Amino acid sequence: MAKRHLILFWLSVCLALVFTSTTQLSAASLLGDDWETFFRDKVSFRGFAENITGLSVSDGDRHFNTSNRLDMQRFTIQPEINIEATDWAKFFISWRFVKEIRYSAEAKSRERSVSYFPTAPVKPLRNTYYDEYKPKPWEAVLDLSPTDALKIRLGRQFISWGETDGVRLLDVINPQDLTFSPPAAPNLFNLDETRIPSWGLRTLYTIQPVTNTILEFFALPGFFDEAKQRVDEIVGSNDTGDRKVRYGRWSAHPETRLILAGRNAFGNMFADPINPGGCAGLGCLVIPSTSRELPDAGDSWKIGARLSHSLGKLNFGLGYIWGFNPQSTDMVFKLTGRSCAGAPIACTLGLAPTVAKLKLTNDRTNIFAGQMNYPVGDIFDVPVNTTVRGELAFFPNKPYNISKFPGAYGLRATADPKYPDGVVEKNTLRYALGFDRTTLIPFLHPDDPWRAFSLSFQIFQSIIFDHEDGIHPFSTAEKIKRVTTTLTFRIGTGYAGDTILPDVFIGYDPEGYWTANPAISYVPPGNEKIKFSLVGAFYGGRNKFKSFGFFDEKDSVFLKMRYQF
Amino acid sequence: MNLAVKVESMTKSLSAICLAFACSVAISSVASISCAAEVDLKPGDTIGPQNWQRAQGMVGENFLNRIKQGHTIQIKAPKIYRPLKEYIEATEKYSGRVSLGPNGELLNYVSGQPFPKLDLSDGQIGQKLAWNFFWRWLGDDYKTGGAVKGGKIIRSVIEKDGAERRADLVSYFLFPRTRYTSNPKPAIPGYEHIDYMQLRVDSYPRDAAGTTTLEIRYDDPKKSDDLYIYIPSIRRIRRATTTQRCQTLAPSEFNLDDINSFNGKITDFNYKFLGEKKVLANLSQEKLPFDRKPGDYLPLNEKWEVVDTYVLEITPKDPNYCYPRKLLHLNKMSFDTHWTLIWDKKGDYWKEQFGMFTPVKLADGREVWSVGDVTIVNVQNGRSTIVTSTRAYNQGYPASMFSLATLQTIMRGGSIE
Repeated sequence: MAKRHLILFWLSVCLALVFTSTTQLSAASLLGDDWETFFRDKVSFRGFAENITGLSVSDGDRHFNTSNRLDMQRFTIQPEINIEATDWAKFFISWRFVKEIRYSAEAKSRERSVSYFPTAPVKPLRNTYYDEYKPKPWEAVLDLSPTDALKIRLGRQFISWGETDGVRLLDVINPQDLTFSPPAAPNLFNLDETRIPSWGLRTLYTIQPVTNTILEFFALPGFFDEAKQRVDEIVGSNDTGDRKVRYGRWSAHPETRLILAGRNAFGNMFADPINPGGCAGLGCLVIPSTSRELPDAGDSWKIGARLSHSLGKLNFGLGYIWGFNPQSTDMVFKLTGRSCAGAPIACTLGLAPTVAKLKLTNDRTNIFAGQMNYPVGDIFDVPVNTTVRGELAFFPNKPYNISKFPGAYGLRATADPKYPDGVVEKNTLRYALGFDRTTLIPFLHPDDPWRAFSLSFQIFQSIIFDHEDGIHPFSTAEKIKRVTTTLTFRIGTGYAGDTILPDVFIGYDPEGYWTANPAISYVPPGNEKIKFSLVGAFYGGRNKFKSFGFFDEKDSVFLKMRYQF
Repeated sequence: MNLAVKVESMTKSLSAICLAFACSVAISSVASISCAAEVDLKPGDTIGPQNWQRAQGMVGENFLNRIKQGHTIQIKAPKIYRPLKEYIEATEKYSGRVSLGPNGELLNYVSGQPFPKLDLSDGQIGQKLAWNFFWRWLGDDYKTGGAVKGGKIIRSVIEKDGAERRADLVSYFLFPRTRYTSNPKPAIPGYEHIDYMQLRVDSYPRDAAGTTTLEIRYDDPKKSDDLYIYIPSIRRIRRATTTQRCQTLAPSEFNLDDINSFNGKITDFNYKFLGEKKVLANLSQEKLPFDRKPGDYLPLNEKWEVVDTYVLEITPKDPNYCYPRKLLHLNKMSFDTHWTLIWDKKGDYWKEQFGMFTPVKLADGREVWSVGDVTIVNVQNGRSTIVTSTRAYNQGYPASMFSLATLQTIMRGGSIE
């Protein structure tokens, strides 16, 4: 209730500022021409309505836990209002309403399909899981410019740092909703559509405009936001013991395939059985009882500052972020306790499975950030004409889960006795380099040889300092190497007066995983408001427990229809 | 002779100037606006398919073909604008010291028209015309779209089959080193090295809305422009190389250097004066946007006037540049362009652009001219784009508005003021 009051308070303040700052209005003119003038000149209404239909094209419905191959039927309407109240105050508000059509029969089907140990029914996602219908604004920001140099943005907003496209590196200020969108598919949902806005304050102070010397500060208190929206929203796999984590549409392959005695042995990666020396059969099994630990309201501040500057053609920024790292892939399971699945004596004798309580947590961290861009013209008279951009993030003492490979009992991995809580902290450096250019390929554009192709190549690397064998992601028994690499390539152009717009995004992990996200859009020549897109999201790899391989049975195609108003 | 006197004398002698010189230069053989047999057009005259020869050489070839095919135009009396007093004063004060450097760069320029006294036989006349064009009066700053209903630039893109699409934007220009009206004058301290800064904000349709381009043109001939683009879908600022100046600004037929007819860096090109010429233009547009049939770019219910121009040929120093040849027809008084003609590398006629003008008022009530509708036609692919806008001059935009901080606060509505 208190949170709601705070939100209402802020909204009221914003609206009051906007309306009181409009000098042309007077009380006497509330129903007169001034209001009409105000709405005509100062207020604009826009937004979009969108329908997306997704169809599984590879392994069918079971991997989506749907009753058929229809894995997405999502209708979104997003109205947006801009109010340009004065020269120094603007207000923007939008709402997002989503309805996904799902059926009770489908829910029952999912109930049957979910396996669990000990055997018990697991509730599927409710039919309205993906729906968003609350009147809460999606974005609601008041932009103030008290001086020429100072810009203040208050409200529920997006803050994006970094230089990358399609894959996040420094773009970790707002969390992302990863429940409804296929991973690494920017042609279906771009980053802005999957980010979750956060309540807070952002200021930009221009110290020297001509060199773009700008000091930026933001503070996101977190306690205005729902707990689940303070960090990435995910739907987990069905390999858990608390019956709360459910198998979602874009969940990774569950680790239930780490099998001991025909049972899920996922928990063994984090904890030994109570009597590891004397167990047998099921007694060697550790049943995971997992739950997500979301950042507490009073403990979820996120604060950051950045200074950017231009030196000649070089533009760069240095920054610092303090707060929760929202990225789902950076989460770790923390062991908070063990108990016996049966009578305590049964575990002591090694006859009954151990239950390990695991909390999936986001790390409170410091991120040291850097970014740069530099346009390269000619090198030794060779026209390169490419913009180079770079991004860097240093995570000191970043936690990782660690296990012993190979594990006991014939398992791929079990608990590492050196790290009984299953967690190790390592300094980690991540960076990205991007190369953007436009290229003319006249023979592919006979009707407009000067319509360019936009090309973008990116390399992402993550380096774990003082690396130890056995570091792995929270969800799988696949090791993370000291250096991991991802490459992306994107190409796009427009045909027939930009009524036909092909765009392809490809991701590649040199360890043998890939994703392809081709799209072709059609904007009818007579109407710029309508757009049809056919989008594919395809994944592959040498196994199903790592990188893009997580999703290799979830290949889908989508028809997206958007009407902009 | 100051500019005001010069303008009056020119307008009085409109009908007296003969075309002999223009006919003698090479343009008659290659330019689409070839020489008319005579210029005897008077207000009230009508030109159509029956007498299209009367407009020959005074409009673009493609436009002339449309007249031959049935389009008719009417002639009206010329609209006369007077240059702004401050601009004339700056010209008189500073032009005496201005000269050209060895590479065509401008030396000792402060503000005003760099070369008010033109000797048409001067070997450097082409370069001087180019600089007069570049430093024509455009206010201390302006918002394009500022005086149109809704405050936007409306781009209507017409396909060959007549299908139309609309794309709106707003453009803000600041000239920090040539200020005539607003303080500080003549330059904002710290910005003496910047010729102009431009912000272009797409505002419609929604998917493109908020896409913003910040362009900075430096006076250093060796320093290339800075170009930053804010992309709303990723909420990031992207750096662009300036080779992108040549690519089509989809979905229109313009590229970055087509803005204001010619927006290239003056020192990157060679210039040749091809002669004086009378053309048909419209300096007082009747209606914004002009009336037209859906799916066609031809202006209806607009009258045309006879205007004296200089014909300037532009060829790039970079052999890979998209336009190997471009002709500007510069108004002798304002140095704005009326007709812009472009050829491709094969020498084939490629694009034809004509701009209309309309009177607007400054805050103190003085009347000045502004661009109105600008039409570009790609005669090779049949597409055309009409840009409807007018400029609101001297809005007092701060230099800090033209920085990356502004780009980061753009919202879907595209507003930055």
